[in-house]
Amino acid sequence: MDRWTDGPARRILTAGVLTGALLFTACRREERRFRELPPSTTPTTVRVSALQPGTMVDTMHVANPYENNAYAQTEGQRLYNAYGCVGCHANGGGGMGPALMDDKWIYGSAPENIYTTIIQGRPNGMPSFAGRIPSYQVWQIVTYVRSLSGLTPAGSRSARTDDMMMYDGSQALPKHVAPKQSFRPPASEMP
Amino acid sequence: MLQVNQSVLHAAGPRAASTEHLWWFAFIVAAVVYVLTVGALFWAIASARRREREGELRPEHAHDRMTSGVGAGIAASVVILLVFLGYDLSVARTRDPVPKQHPVTIEITGRQWFWDVTYADTSPHGRFTTANEIHIPVGQPVLFLLSSSDVIHSMWVPNLAGKKDLIPGYTQSLWFQADTPGVYRGQCAEFCGEQHAKMAMEIVAQPLTEYRRWVASQSGPGAPPADSVTKRGQEVFLTGTCAMCHSIGGTPAGSHVGPDLSHLASRRTIAAGSLPNTRGNLAGWIIDPQRIKPGAKMPPNMLEPKDLDALLTYLQSLK
Amino acid sequence: MMARMRTKWPRCPFVLRSITAVLMLAACTRERAPEQVKQPAATQLPAAGSPRATAPLPAEDGQWTMPAKDYSGLRYSQLTEITADNVKNLKPAWTFSTAVLRGHEEGPLVVNNTMYIVTPFPNLLYALDLTKPGAPVKWSYDPAPRSEAQGVACCDVVNRGPTYADGKIVFNTLDNHVVAVDANSGKEVWKTKVGDINTGETMTMAPLVVKNIVLVGNSGGEMGVRGWLKGLDLGSGAVKWTAYSTGPDSSVLIGPRFKPFYPKDKGKDLGVSTWVGDQWTIGGGTVWGWITYDPQTNLIYYGAANPGPWNPDQRPGDNKWTSTIFARDPATGDAVWAYQMSPHDLHDYDGVNESVLVDVPWKGQTRHVLLHPDRNGYLYMIDRTNGEVLSAQPFGFINSTAGVDLATGQLKYVDSKHPTLGDVVRDICPAAPGAKDWQPSSFSPRTGLLYIPHQNLCMDVQSVEANYIAGTPYVGMNVKMKAGPGGNRGVVTAWDPVNARPAWEIKEDLPVWSGSLVTAGDVVFYGTMDGWFKAVDARNGKPLWQYKTGSGIIGQPVTYRGPDGKQYVAVMSGVGGWSGAIVAGNLDPNDSTAALGFAAAMRDLPSKSTKGGTLYVFALP
Repeated sequence: MDRWTDGPARRILTAGVLTGALLFTACRREERRFRELPPSTTPTTVRVSALQPGTMVDTMHVANPYENNAYAQTEGQRLYNAYGCVGCHANGGGGMGPALMDDKWIYGSAPENIYTTIIQGRPNGMPSFAGRIPSYQVWQIVTYVRSLSGLTPAGSRSARTDDMMMYDGSQALPKHVAPKQSFRPPASEMP
Repeated sequence: MLQVNQSVLHAAGPRAASTEHLWWFAFIVAAVVYVLTVGALFWAIASARRREREGELRPEHAHDRMTSGVGAGIAASVVILLVFLGYDLSVARTRDPVPKQHPVTIEITGRQWFWDVTYADTSPHGRFTTANEIHIPVGQPVLFLLSSSDVIHSMWVPNLAGKKDLIPGYTQSLWFQADTPGVYRGQCAEFCGEQHAKMAMEIVAQPLTEYRRWVASQSGPGAPPADSVTKRGQEVFLTGTCAMCHSIGGTPAGSHVGPDLSHLASRRTIAAGSLPNTRGNLAGWIIDPQRIKPGAKMPPNMLEPKDLDALLTYLQSLK
Repeated sequence: MMARMRTKWPRCPFVLRSITAVLMLAACTRERAPEQVKQPAATQLPAAGSPRATAPLPAEDGQWTMPAKDYSGLRYSQLTEITADNVKNLKPAWTFSTAVLRGHEEGPLVVNNTMYIVTPFPNLLYALDLTKPGAPVKWSYDPAPRSEAQGVACCDVVNRGPTYADGKIVFNTLDNHVVAVDANSGKEVWKTKVGDINTGETMTMAPLVVKNIVLVGNSGGEMGVRGWLKGLDLGSGAVKWTAYSTGPDSSVLIGPRFKPFYPKDKGKDLGVSTWVGDQWTIGGGTVWGWITYDPQTNLIYYGAANPGPWNPDQRPGDNKWTSTIFARDPATGDAVWAYQMSPHDLHDYDGVNESVLVDVPWKGQTRHVLLHPDRNGYLYMIDRTNGEVLSAQPFGFINSTAGVDLATGQLKYVDSKHPTLGDVVRDICPAAPGAKDWQPSSFSPRTGLLYIPHQNLCMDVQSVEANYIAGTPYVGMNVKMKAGPGGNRGVVTAWDPVNARPAWEIKEDLPVWSGSLVTAGDVVFYGTMDGWFKAVDARNGKPLWQYKTGSGIIGQPVTYRGPDGKQYVAVMSGVGGWSGAIVAGNLDPNDSTAALGFAAAMRDLPSKSTKGGTLYVFALP
């Protein structure tokens, strides 16, 4: 017993335990869950307007189950490319569809807003993916879409890819102040 | 069709045969050298102990004998290694280049975690795509063009050839020939992610006429639905999650995320060799692939029982 | 020991020298000399009195009844009140706001002292009464197109204008309806649905009516749509025939009358055999551009767009009949000849640009040709009776191909500019919008020159795998565009067809995405994307006049004689289209691949033009 608790041995043991503990804190960043939770994470009341008649109730934002998860975000990126999102929204800059990397959110930037936009579709041309993409994959795409405009924690964002440089300068996502979650349809456009 | 024992020591073609011979040569020579070395060691120990017992002095010229012994050992090693080198080089020279007559060219794209296979043809219209199960004619060299769409994989069919990597952004070529008909199992030989262990392929070597028949059956679109249940199954396929990732010729489903299913029912296995292709296995795979291959890109699909039944009927009709 | 060391050293310098030499050699091979590059031939005015291209002209009635004013696609007016001398006095006469803020690629029609305008989505049709001061709205018609159609339109929700025939205004809506409205009352006469947005189809082109057949085509080559041209009956709107751009001969309407000029275009069911499996069903070849008609040959001429997806490795084969010029009989749709300009297209070089019908003295004979400035950068001069390519000279900078072999008609691709899966291929010129996109040119029989508004862009591409999911984009390419050599993104070229070279050129900062108009007063009109409407001398390109409108100009200028006998020039102002998508769609230029790569080349556009939607009409005071 004494050998392990005295002097240098003790220091080494302490250092080893602390290092081990430190290593484990990284695990949540990239926890890979292959069999997903049932739809209790699917939002029921989703508001697309900040106006509420009568007395205001605080909007309950559904927590994105994948907000801090690097694996989910890269899966979201893979699905974003595979399911055709990149065809309309490019790599965040938009095209046929609006830009996803700026701070203008026509239908809201909260995770549940983006989730319902993908599932329900929108009248100005966003297709409805209900029944086509499983719920947990939609949440993964939501995570990736929010990361395009810097709304997810920096720690779970992926590093540079080997692809063609989409963004000028560094390959990292452009830094800007995280915009408040909001609805900002472009002026004079139909909602 | 009998599945042949998946082993390097059961060569069924000239390439694997030359590897096998080289292996046996190395094994035998090494065994002989080993026996001689260990034998010499024992002899040296026995001899020294005998000398000790009998109180003999070290013989004169013992130092010279040791030098010549070491010299002989080094010389023998060099000779054996040179023989190995020569044999190895001569075997290597027979592998590349690709033999000029290769009637069948097959493009394989490795994906996590299945093999996307396209049979090339001189005209674009003769090309067709399948997955995981590759048929080749017996007795003819077949050229494979290997690439990957995501990470490095490696194609290894031990009965027929050695390993060749599938590297993203780069096309490698591999050729081999099967001399006897049979089903040869191959697998991915470069760690490529969660389900690397369950990324198998089957090479089915058939006589030429059977091979041609198979090619003809694979070239056309997927069989159109013949009755109402099959039609409902096709509807389930096209209006649900399936068409987002899979393609079936002759239908609007044209996505390449997952394997092409135009002739799914003609394959012996599903999920890259993980399960035999039966209705029950297919049902289990569709409902929850994560139980069988956790980490695979295919999500669980909670279908209504009637829909699942119709879908299975449709998929099993795609011969 | 010392002796041994000394013998070692003399060897080292030799080894060092050899290694250095090898490394230097390796560095030399790193940069390969550029492939055969193509420069447009030097500008030179045609000598006075030299033979020039001409075209027969219909009688001038001071109206503008079809998109290009006449069947030959000339966009030439014989009105002479406005001349190169007095155009500097041009002033705005009146304006009209369309109430829409997307890209205005349309041109107005003027028939019976009424001006007709079709706006971008929601495709409102306005009839303006030119007899009253200020041209008030006589009536308007709302076709109520489905708003979801905006989600499958690749390049802004534009509409390229209506046409007029037999008392009806005929136009297309974004959601695939062809509408005929009574020109006097504004009542709908018929409305026919000809496509489905759920397959990714939309319609943006301007129809043409030939012998009571309404000719319309679809859009959607970026959506995995199978392209077609349809002929509808003008009276009832019923579809009389459909000519697909891919598929078996029976659906491409290739029959016994079909006689292509080149062997590469001969064969049975090439629209199937040059594709893998059934990829021709999602192969593209849409018909969203211009149609012209020659009453002498009784043939209509039009082009089919690019094959889909853009990633060429996913569709081995020549991919017929995409990027092809067709000549068809307008009554039945039967193909009489076809020429595929860009087989197995690698760079989104659609074939839909205008085929302007002129007569050119060529090698001692007068040939009846079509002049077709294609996306791939070559100005094709093709005998319109049989499809023989007389010349194909570059009118912009090209390095993606090394010329057209006139003996075989084959386009020679440059291997180093071939997109490869996962790799980035840089500096491909011209870029995907081509040396010229849809913006139509005009031809003056007085000068014999073709006035081509176009652009000078190059691109970097990275091909990726495309998955076909109906109703979603099917492209498979990350693109980043930039200005071409010289730095100017836009050009107006006056092309001399007789000598197959430019006569003069005007460089513009921004791509010239508007159409051009030329008049008998020797004035050429065009607009720039930052809003300047310009007039230049048709003979030498000298700038004569310009006016700054409220928003970038990408529409087709027209000129007409008003009820008061004065000559008016009208143009839409309202930036957008593919080139202006960054403004029309509020895109984010931080992503170079936005708008299929165009945003990267147009980062400065938001500071040079805001959205707009106003018609400007100019006249002499």
